[in-house]
Amino acid sequence: MTTSYSYGKDFFVKEALFTRGRITGVIGPNGSGKTTLLKTIAGMMPYRGSIMIDDRECRSYGGMERAKKVSYLPQTVKAVSLDVETLVWHGRFPWHGNYRKLTEDDARIIDESLQTATVQDLRKRDLTELSGGELRRAYVAMMFAQNADMMLLDEPTTYMDIKSQSMLYEILRQYAGSGHGVIMTCHGIDQAFSYCDDIVVMNERTLVKCISPGRLKEDEASLRSIFGVSVKRSDDAGLVYPYQLVK
Amino acid sequence: MRRKLVISIILLIAIAAFSVLAGNGAIGTKDILRVIAGGGSLSQQTILFRVRLPRVAAAAFCGAALSVAGFIIQSTLDNRIASPGILGINNGAGLFVLISALIFPFQSGVKCIMAFAGALAVAFLVSFLAVRTGMSKTSVILSGVAISAICTSAIELIISLRPETIADRAAFRIGGFAAVNPVTVLFAIPLIIIGLAVSFLMAPSMDILNLGDEVAHGLGLNVRACRNLFIMISALLAAASISMCGLIGFVGLIVPNCVRIISDKKSSGGILLCALTGAAFLLLCDTISRLIVFPYELPCGLILSIIGAPYLVWILVKKKKRLGID
Repeated sequence: MTTSYSYGKDFFVKEALFTRGRITGVIGPNGSGKTTLLKTIAGMMPYRGSIMIDDRECRSYGGMERAKKVSYLPQTVKAVSLDVETLVWHGRFPWHGNYRKLTEDDARIIDESLQTATVQDLRKRDLTELSGGELRRAYVAMMFAQNADMMLLDEPTTYMDIKSQSMLYEILRQYAGSGHGVIMTCHGIDQAFSYCDDIVVMNERTLVKCISPGRLKEDEASLRSIFGVSVKRSDDAGLVYPYQLVK
Repeated sequence: MRRKLVISIILLIAIAAFSVLAGNGAIGTKDILRVIAGGGSLSQQTILFRVRLPRVAAAAFCGAALSVAGFIIQSTLDNRIASPGILGINNGAGLFVLISALIFPFQSGVKCIMAFAGALAVAFLVSFLAVRTGMSKTSVILSGVAISAICTSAIELIISLRPETIADRAAFRIGGFAAVNPVTVLFAIPLIIIGLAVSFLMAPSMDILNLGDEVAHGLGLNVRACRNLFIMISALLAAASISMCGLIGFVGLIVPNCVRIISDKKSSGGILLCALTGAAFLLLCDTISRLIVFPYELPCGLILSIIGAPYLVWILVKKKKRLGID
């Protein structure tokens, strides 16, 4: 998937390429346009320029068609009164629309999604009874069932304790490993570098550059100018985040 | 869930049968049975086929329509205190019914269409306020109450200036089936059936919409089109009812909230249960209002409020956590 677009009066055009099988982290200061980037790719915002999904312009997709290619999870999700299993079943909506009958395939996909997102024990529980981390994982399970090629997540780890955070990152890694692309905005630079394969840096509503953690040296100066800090890889095996914030 | 549906179907049939058969001083149960068997005098036949049956059908369909309209509008606006009555949709329809009675006094069909126009106008105004301005749920209710008040004063104004437009002003304001017109019933019931069918078929989309706009969009739902469609269906259902029975309000608030407590979490089941229990409930209220002080009659809306209001309060106190208001 490639993107190069502008939105409204605030012009921000850049090229970026998002590939399947990899986790891309979008970082940037508050208000730098991270969420707008995701929403635009998910087809929620008008844009000029071009966003190509499988060689087709994003805006030319119908809702259901697009939802088979791109799934999107907003920063805040609602704890509606619904059991986890039904929520995950809703992930099959783009594949069936209003005329839904649970097929054997669906049942298998739902089971696998619950497993992968490690919420299989919660399947009969009501969303309103779940903790923040469990709720988020339930929604991620729904997105697994949606089975889109690209999964967009807006700060999926907000309000999560550290254990749930690393659990979620592992789940997403597994999903990317099965040939899907994951794009997520991250609040923490250290987290983004530690868990993502590619990093997209945004500042002042402009996509500044795409970097990979492996070639950090070349981009340290621009990180410093945007965030005031940089990251450094530490080889201490015991670290949760191999990349640490440095002044 | 299946058991609950079966129970409510049986309940509805039982109440409907009772309502048709229940005799009074003018026509006894035996007379009615005789008419059904094919006998009876001409006046007895007229009472059954031109008065009793249209009335029972009107009450049942109004109950179903208003309950489902309430259920839909609550889901669409994500607000459990919303109902066609509270948001002013009923009053908007009522106002337009009066206006049509003023301009086209003898056109029952026009009445229905005008009611729909009025209901639609108010429904979209309220949903515009709710969705676009991002006001809180309570403010949405308040603006609905305000719009409702505007419509009410316009209604009062018309009734005061031109008292001849409406036969029974008290019955129109409180709502009732005493003056149900068979022609209006024949015009309104097909509209209600269409509205109920469409809302049932669209129920899965409603489930998706309930997850919030952004999640729903991510799942491929056309959120705006879907919301507008639901508002239109809800307005259609409310309008068709109002054109038959006047301003019956409460049923659209109380039935959906009760159903949400007993039904499973799928909208399709909720809509079915709403339609069945709403029909049974309003029919029961109408039957009581018809029989309780014979030979006089109370407006059905009165009975509805007397039974419904305390019950709603009781439920709110009992189950406040599960209603999720604010």
